[in-house]
Amino acid sequence: MSELHVLCRIADVEYVVPAAEVMQMESFTGATRVPGARPDVAGLMQIRGHVVPVVDMRTVFGLPTIPPTLDSRVIVMKRGERVVGLLVDSAREVLKIRPEDFQPPPPVVSHQTEGLVKAVVQTGTRFLMLIDFGKVIGEE
Amino acid sequence: MSDGFDPADFIAGFIAETEEHLASANANLLAVEAAAAQNQPTPRQIRELFRSFHTVKGLAAMVGVEPIVDLAHAMESVLRDADVAAARLLPEAVELLLKAVRAIETRVHALGKGHTVPPASAKLLDALNGLRQETTPALPGEGATSLAPELWAKLAAADRVQLTQGLAAGRRAFVLRFVPSIEQAAAGVTITSIREKAASVAEVVKVVPQSVAATAEAPPGLAFALLLLADTDGPALAQALGVAATALTPVLLVAPSPAAAEDALADEGLSTDEQQRRGVVRVDVARLDDALERLSSLVVTQFRLARTLAAMRAAGADVRELSHVVAENGRQLRDLRASIMRARMVSVAELLERIPLLVRGLSRSTGKDVRLVLATGNAELDKGVAERIFPAVVHLVRNAVDHAIEAPAERRAAGKAESGLLTVACHERSDNRLELTVTDDGRGVDAAAVAARAGAPVPETDAALLDLLARPGLSTKATVTTTSGRGVGMDVVRRIAVDELRGELSMRTTPGQGTTFALRIPLSITIVDAFSFLCGGQTFVVPVAMIEEVQELEPGRTVRGPDRRRTPRGDADRRRVPRATEMMQRRGEAVPVVRLHDLLGLDASEVARPKAIVVRREGAPLAFAVDRMLGQQEIVVRPLEDRLVKVQGVSGTTDLGDGRPTLVLDLLAISEQLLAASTQVSA
Repeated sequence: MSELHVLCRIADVEYVVPAAEVMQMESFTGATRVPGARPDVAGLMQIRGHVVPVVDMRTVFGLPTIPPTLDSRVIVMKRGERVVGLLVDSAREVLKIRPEDFQPPPPVVSHQTEGLVKAVVQTGTRFLMLIDFGKVIGEE
Repeated sequence: MSDGFDPADFIAGFIAETEEHLASANANLLAVEAAAAQNQPTPRQIRELFRSFHTVKGLAAMVGVEPIVDLAHAMESVLRDADVAAARLLPEAVELLLKAVRAIETRVHALGKGHTVPPASAKLLDALNGLRQETTPALPGEGATSLAPELWAKLAAADRVQLTQGLAAGRRAFVLRFVPSIEQAAAGVTITSIREKAASVAEVVKVVPQSVAATAEAPPGLAFALLLLADTDGPALAQALGVAATALTPVLLVAPSPAAAEDALADEGLSTDEQQRRGVVRVDVARLDDALERLSSLVVTQFRLARTLAAMRAAGADVRELSHVVAENGRQLRDLRASIMRARMVSVAELLERIPLLVRGLSRSTGKDVRLVLATGNAELDKGVAERIFPAVVHLVRNAVDHAIEAPAERRAAGKAESGLLTVACHERSDNRLELTVTDDGRGVDAAAVAARAGAPVPETDAALLDLLARPGLSTKATVTTTSGRGVGMDVVRRIAVDELRGELSMRTTPGQGTTFALRIPLSITIVDAFSFLCGGQTFVVPVAMIEEVQELEPGRTVRGPDRRRTPRGDADRRRVPRATEMMQRRGEAVPVVRLHDLLGLDASEVARPKAIVVRREGAPLAFAVDRMLGQQEIVVRPLEDRLVKVQGVSGTTDLGDGRPTLVLDLLAISEQLLAASTQVSA
């Protein structure tokens, strides 16, 4: 049984998140900054009547931030009661990946990314990294 | 699920109504217990209890919850017996009934959570039924005889037994009515002489004095009804007594009919409370919240309408007619909002109806004698506020009984009444706030002991002492002593009252005489009046209630003190280390000025005439400099739940009509942080 994953790009590198945890995708035109919040929190967005915190994945990965573009996307994800948006450079594709194809990241990578990359997978010619959503929102 | 019968709805109604009956049952049981201690019968409470259990039984049968039916049935039977037994309940019966109420509560909660409802404990049912057999030596109930109910009510249980047993044994019973008059008194006929005469020819069961309303013939006065048991018939007795035969009314035995008695009880209940409740609809709060949520989107639409209107006017369009409509719409929205807010109000008396039970339990477990006075009046407050504030009140009551009120011996030694007095009162304030006070006449808070625990100097004022008490983590069970006159959880009380509800907590304490805690809380929190303003290029709002004043910050009127604390710090610390060395003059008072953009870590913007928002925290004023005031409007505050964005000083977000969240700042919390930081530095 292969599972659906949403593919996104952050600074020309491709990542995936499980589609099961994705509620919707929104374009990004800016968020309300929250002074005193974690530096990687881009701010708050109102999405279909709900106020959702948005995490800038560039800051999470220690990359310089960029102004929003037409391609910028917020992947709104849900874990338990929490709904958090992940800001990425673009997100256009959905892929089917078999769970057994995921491999644990090499220890060096795992260390360097502070566990934010949960697994790696090779599909065809593409090499993709699975973002650990729980880790990003400080859940685990 | 959109139409027809929804069992979930039905269950919710059952739960709400049952909980109400159980709450009233608890209150009545406590009243019965209190009256029993003074050997007083409590017919009204007994009847209400009967009715409560009768109703719960009926409701439970309708939704098919057998365990509750069983319990309520057993309880109802105990109460029916008690009603017959001269409206008295034995202390062990009260205890058992309280236990049974809790057993029903547990099952109601299980039902509410969708769990399986456990069967009624056979032990409890047996105990309840056992209670019945002990008290069932068939005591006569009202209606057992033809005696007028108002006379029957005056009879003690023993009198009733005497009367019915006498009748059952074939004797005759009569009521002799005697109205004293001046003429009779002149002839030596008084109630005393009549009574003596009656006693010589018959058995006097009871003499009941009655007041007589004025008639055409006579002024109001006193009459007596003598209940007599005799072995002769009416005319013979009248002759023996020397009274007219018409002065005697025979009393006859009525064939017992338990069912009729039960119905009479149930009907009587209907005539009091139920009638008052008629016309009342029970509504799930979630539905009101939903209505409010819809209203808030309407309010947002109204903002947008007003903005569009302003834009049209700016573009030179003739919008006079439209302005009227928009203004009218705004007024109607405000009225609608007021109606919904009123529907959300619950009475404080209802909120506090569980407190007597709590105090009873506490006084039992501590062995202290506590008299509770609830002075709640007719005040009401928003359901949401009520739910939040209740745990704080429970904390305060618990502390008062556990720690402040002394044991009876200690009180006696101190020259106080043995029973401690605990008063929970509430007063509505003019500023849309409610003051809830919890007052005890206990030992007072020992400032020295608290200071020693906190490792701080002994505070000089009550406010400073309260600050120490509410220090988070100061108190753990190990460090609390009964002699410190305080207990755990003051930090929790303060957090609820001040941080969550944006109210105030204050304390007055006198060693040896007692302590009063006062909670001042807003009546409702959902919609607030707020100012919006610009700061560092970002729009914020702040509730009007927090602000003392908004004024111009004239460049020439502020002075900047030397800033010795500008030691190198990382950027991340910018928000937490404000540079509050600027001051402005305000009516002879030097007010520190904080540049809000600095504090929030936003970029400074060049503004010609910045504004100062002045707040006051614990008497100390503080001015926040902002770029520009934008306006005043009603906002719906949504709390920020996610921990990623839950930060001190931001109480939530609101939508000002642009579809983006705007932060609602809690300037009081921010100034408290600043004060805390400054006391840390000076200490």
